[in-house]
Amino acid sequence: MNTKINAKANSQIKVITGNAAAAIAAKLARPDVVAAYPITPQTEIIEQISKFHANGEMDCELITVEGENSAMNAVMAASLAGGRVFTATSSWGLVFMYDAVLATAGARAPVVMVNVNRETPGIIAVSSGQQDMISTRDSGWIFLIAENCQEVLDLVLQAYRLAEDYDIQVPVMVHYDGFYLSYLSEVVDVPFQEEVDRFLAVLKDQPERTKLVPGGKLGCGSHGILGGYLELRHKHVSAMERSKAKFEQIDKEYQEIFGRSYGGQVEAYRMDDADVVLVGSGSMCGTIKTVIDAKREEGVKVGLLKMRMYRPFPGEAMVKALKGKKAIGVVDRSLCFGFKGGPIYTELKAFETQLEGSKMVSFIDGIANTDITTANVETMIDTTCGLAAGKEVREVTWICYPEAQESDAEKMGGR
Amino acid sequence: MTGKKKGKLTKVLDYLKYEDPFSKGVAFCPGCGLELLVRFIPQVLGNDIVITGTPSCSAPVLLGQNNQSWHTLSYFGTLMTGAAANATGLARYYRKAGIKNTVVCFNGDGTAADIGFGNLSGAAERNEPFIYICYDNEGYMNTGIQKSGTTPYGASTTTTPFGSASKGKNLRRMNLALKMAMHKIPYTATATLSDLGDLAKKLLKAKEAKERGFAFLHVLAPCTTGWGYAPENTIEVCRRAVKTNYFPLWEAINGKIRMTKIVKKPKPVSTYTELIKKFAHLNEADLQILQDDVDYEYCMLGGLSVLEAECQLPASLED
Repeated sequence: MNTKINAKANSQIKVITGNAAAAIAAKLARPDVVAAYPITPQTEIIEQISKFHANGEMDCELITVEGENSAMNAVMAASLAGGRVFTATSSWGLVFMYDAVLATAGARAPVVMVNVNRETPGIIAVSSGQQDMISTRDSGWIFLIAENCQEVLDLVLQAYRLAEDYDIQVPVMVHYDGFYLSYLSEVVDVPFQEEVDRFLAVLKDQPERTKLVPGGKLGCGSHGILGGYLELRHKHVSAMERSKAKFEQIDKEYQEIFGRSYGGQVEAYRMDDADVVLVGSGSMCGTIKTVIDAKREEGVKVGLLKMRMYRPFPGEAMVKALKGKKAIGVVDRSLCFGFKGGPIYTELKAFETQLEGSKMVSFIDGIANTDITTANVETMIDTTCGLAAGKEVREVTWICYPEAQESDAEKMGGR
Repeated sequence: MTGKKKGKLTKVLDYLKYEDPFSKGVAFCPGCGLELLVRFIPQVLGNDIVITGTPSCSAPVLLGQNNQSWHTLSYFGTLMTGAAANATGLARYYRKAGIKNTVVCFNGDGTAADIGFGNLSGAAERNEPFIYICYDNEGYMNTGIQKSGTTPYGASTTTTPFGSASKGKNLRRMNLALKMAMHKIPYTATATLSDLGDLAKKLLKAKEAKERGFAFLHVLAPCTTGWGYAPENTIEVCRRAVKTNYFPLWEAINGKIRMTKIVKKPKPVSTYTELIKKFAHLNEADLQILQDDVDYEYCMLGGLSVLEAECQLPASLED
C-alpha cells in the first residue's frame, strides 16, 4: 500500500496498526465521553483507549458498557447533552446497535464512530467484507472509508469537523477493512496535539448547537407528526447534501495544517488520460494502484476512482471524474441481495445517462476475507478493457468465487 | 392550619416543594397511576431534573409532539432497548462538564424488566450516577395490555388471555426490585401511590444516593384501563397491594435490605384481586397459587432483610 509521508516537525512518525491509528485519533480529538465494548476486529481500539485513560493520557468519561446497543445509546445521549463523543464497533455490534444508530441520526447527534468492516451475521464469519456498511447505508449517517492506516487517523479527525459542523450536525461513521487494516502495521504520521487542537478549534468558534441541559425546559426526541416529521427529515437530507462540499473544504484545510490531501469525496488516481477506470473503496485501493502502475508501464490507460465518502453518495463527483470514460469496472466487497451486481455498482448505475456512454461492469471480490490480489485486479482491468474494446462481457463477475459463473451458466445455482 | 394537628395528607404536601411542571389536562386515562407518579416526582425532586422516557403510556405526555410539550421539564425521548444507557450518557457528560444534574430515567416494566433489562443491569453494575424509576403497571399497556415479566400469576392480558384452555398468565412474576438490590447499588426501594410520604422520602433518598451512584425505585402504578377496576380505586388498589404483602415496601442501601413498612396482619391476596377484573376468572385454587407466590416472595425478602419479617414458607414451595 502506498503511504506518502509528509514528515514535518509538527508530527511524529510511528509504525502502528489501523486500530491504533483510530485510537490515537480519538485521543487527539479529546472526546468528553467514550463508550467501549469489544468485538473482533475492533477490540484493539478500545483496549488502547482504556490504556490511555488508565494512564491519565485521556481525560474522558470512559463507559465500559455491557453491549453495543448501550454504546450507541450512551454516546448519542452524551452528544445531545453537548459532549464530544467517540465509540467504535464492527459488523455484529453495528447490527446490535442498529435502532440506536437510527435514533442518533434522527436526533442529529454529532457522534463519531469507527466501524471496522466485517461480514454480517447470517453466516458466522470472522472475516473482512463491507457488508456491515452496506446493511446500514440508509441509516442517515455520513459514511467515510479509509484506504490505509494513515487515512484512518486522518478521517477520524476530519469526521469531527464534519459531524460537529454547525451546518451539518449529522453523525459520521469511519469505515476501514477489518483484518486487513485493523491488524496491519504501517507507517503513520501522527500529528502533535497542538496541531489537532488548531484543526478542531473552528468548532468552538461557530454558533453553539442546541444542547439538552438540566432545567433548560428543552426536550429532544419528540414525536414527529406529519409536517413535523417531514420537516426534520427534509432538513436531514439537506444536511447530507451539504456535507459533500463541506468534506471537500475540510480536506483542503487538513492539507494546510497537516500536509495531506486526498481529494475530498473521491480520490482520482491516474485518471486524467484514462480510458478505463476501476471504482473501488477501502484497502483494495492500495493493491489496485500498484497494478495500475504496472499496467501503465505496458501502455494500458487505466485509472482508479477511490470512494472516500459513501453516504451521501458522491454521485456528482463521480460523474465528473468518470464522464466519457470508455469503460468502468466497479469493485464491490459486498453483495446486493435481490439485485444484480454489487451495491456500489447498482448505485452508480443510476448515473448511467450522465456518464455519456461509459459502459459498466460489476465485480464482486474480497468477500469473507478472500484476498483481492494483484492477479484479481489484473483480471478486472483486463475484463474492463475488453468491455471498452467492444467485447461481450458478463455484467456481474464474482472474482473471488469463479464457481458462481459456472452455476450461472447452468442456470441453476446451488441451493 | 395553626394550632391544628397536621393530618397525613398535609405531611405529604410538605414534600411538594416545587411546581407541577405538567399541564393541567393531559392525555392520560382518568385514574391513571402513572400520571399521579410522573406529576409527583418533579414536585419532590425539583424542576431541574432531566427526565428520559421511552415509547410507552408515558410517551404521549412525556415526550411531546413536534415542537410542543405537555410539560416544562428537560426531557429526552428515547428507545426502550437502551433507556438506561441514554441516562448513563447524559449523567456522565454532565459529570465531565461539571454540570449539576439529576437524571431520572423513567420507564415502565416493559422497558425495565423485559427489553431494557440488560442495560438497566449494566448501568447498575457500573454504578452510574442517576435515578432509575420503574413505574410498574404489570404489562405493556400502551400497546394494548400484553403480558410482561412483572405480570403476576393468573392475570388475563391480551397475550395471556383467560380462555377455556387458559387461566391467564401461567407463570409467576419476576421480582425486579430484588434483582436490582442484588447489584449492591447505593439505593433500591419499592414504593406505591397509597403511601406518598414513603414515596417522597424514597425519592429524596434516591436523589442523595445518586451522588454515590445508581439509585433504583420500583413503583407499583396500577392501570385502570388495563387491569379493569374503577378509576376512583387506583389508590385503594395500591393500599390493598401493600396490606396483602402483594407489594411489600422496603429499601436497600448497598444491597442491605430493610422493610420500611411491616404489615402486622396481612390480608389474604383475594382482598386485593377482588377489585381487579384481570383476576376475576381465578377460582380459589388459582388464587392459592398467587397467594403462595406472594408468601414466597415475602419470605425471600424477610430472609434477606436486616429487619427480619416474620414469614412462613408455603408448603407447596418447600423442597
